[in-house]
Amino acid sequence: METTVALVKTELKLMVREPLTLLFVFVFPVVTMLIIGGAFGTTPTRAFDWVNPSHWYVASYLTVVIAATGLIMLPVHLASYRERGVLRRFAVAGFGRWSFVTAQAVTGLVAIAAGSVVLLVVAAPVYGLPSAHHLAPAVAGFALGSVAFVALGVLLGTVLPSARSAQAVGMLAFFPSFLLGAGGPPPRVMGSAVRAVAGYLPLTWVTNAVRDPWLGTGSATASLVVVAALAVVVALPAARRSVLRAGR
Amino acid sequence: MSDDAAVRVKGLVKAYGGRRVVDGLDLEVAAGEIVGLIGANGAGKTTTVECVQGLRRPDRGTISVFGLDPRADSDRLRRLVGSQLQSAGLPDRLRVGEAVRLFGGREGQDLLERFGLDARRRSPFAGLSGGERQRLFLVLALVSHPRLVILDELTQGLDPASRRGVWAAIGGLRTQGTTVLLVTHELDEAEALCDRVVAMRDGRVLDAGTPAQLVDRHGRSATIMFTIPAGLPAGSLEQLPGVASVVVEAGRATVTGARAAIAEVGALLVHTGDIPGDLSVRVPGLEDALVELLEGATPIGAADRRELIGAL
Repeated sequence: METTVALVKTELKLMVREPLTLLFVFVFPVVTMLIIGGAFGTTPTRAFDWVNPSHWYVASYLTVVIAATGLIMLPVHLASYRERGVLRRFAVAGFGRWSFVTAQAVTGLVAIAAGSVVLLVVAAPVYGLPSAHHLAPAVAGFALGSVAFVALGVLLGTVLPSARSAQAVGMLAFFPSFLLGAGGPPPRVMGSAVRAVAGYLPLTWVTNAVRDPWLGTGSATASLVVVAALAVVVALPAARRSVLRAGR
Repeated sequence: MSDDAAVRVKGLVKAYGGRRVVDGLDLEVAAGEIVGLIGANGAGKTTTVECVQGLRRPDRGTISVFGLDPRADSDRLRRLVGSQLQSAGLPDRLRVGEAVRLFGGREGQDLLERFGLDARRRSPFAGLSGGERQRLFLVLALVSHPRLVILDELTQGLDPASRRGVWAAIGGLRTQGTTVLLVTHELDEAEALCDRVVAMRDGRVLDAGTPAQLVDRHGRSATIMFTIPAGLPAGSLEQLPGVASVVVEAGRATVTGARAAIAEVGALLVHTGDIPGDLSVRVPGLEDALVELLEGATPIGAADRRELIGAL
């Protein structure tokens, strides 16, 4: 327990010293939200399910923070630890078996929470915050989506062999997810093929689970079920693979 | 078998992909002892200590560390064992002071001073020189006051002065009664620090003993060099007991043979009444002894031997 607390504190400190994290989790979503959020004006149109496009994007961009944490920050961080033998050092130094995975989960969730707060604080005076139609399911979607992507990030970090490969794979997963599943054009203006692809992206489901109940544009039940299932399916192998343990 | 053994390994076998890296190894380290595992790269030293640390699962054999099983009792054992691992780093942006707090609570201050890292407390790991990193790893291995310290390639990358400093610190551990298992291919390091040395090759123990015993057993030859004095009868050196060969070049003799030959040559020179001013004697150290030991080991091919000696 003691080592877990120490490791969580250390990992949180290291998180804010990592330029890649600061850039993608805290800066990128805010800057792109400011640009795209203002690009389509504030008049509700059919493309945006008859809501204010700025509000549509403010609600969507919370999940960009989730994607940046799960697809870039965590995989690169974990893969670099594995590459340098940091995990071996933790393992022989007597850190609890679950201390490392706990620290990663806490760090990832804190990064998402902090990045989202920054996003909303910047959005509020510029575009205003949309009022929540169904707060509870929106919060549940955000929480489950965060857990799913933190788990996905941990899992990717335990599979990819190096920080470089994690960065490459992470970017490759992040940008299509960002463009098709959260921060790009609304699904209604996408061509059918692109919309079909978007429909398979995990981030699309997370975004729907947050945005639909928040803006009242649809039911979130199906999205919530998919995101919850994703969280469970990914969290189990992620936890199992990141336990501090001896080799074979 | 002694009851005060810190480490007891019996019949350890570990193979990777069908190749036996450790092959029936026995090893015992008494509490308070400093034992060096020596041998060329690939001898199985690191795999052996990784099994002792519980980092790898032995294919066969038993390991007990302070009476505990490194795999089954890993949580209890890790409080008793400090490790300096080969090729295990730290996060780039972790500062020296933070690393010490993370690995050992608040007790690392005097260790940082002792290893000359006090001024670097706020430096990130990435900013440390190779030598500073090694010293930090050593501090982290010692910070929890372990009863057994396992040090793998301890002074790799250290300059001579830092090496001496680290050696002195290891010597200091002896006085505290800490048991040390040292993995090295630096034979002068093993000779300077170890109570006992275990020489390994191909995953097996070739021989074990104090450095002096190994030198006695395997480092038989000595070399005596001097300018031949005028009064020395030609051919008299070859006749001396224990002399194996005499090479004369430009009036200077290089005599090799058993260590007894040192006394015989000395006596002869005293007898001629003209002791050369450039008389020098080289007696075998651990390095020579090991080269002989490894050369004498069978079966061993010539190419293999060259590689082995090169690594030593």
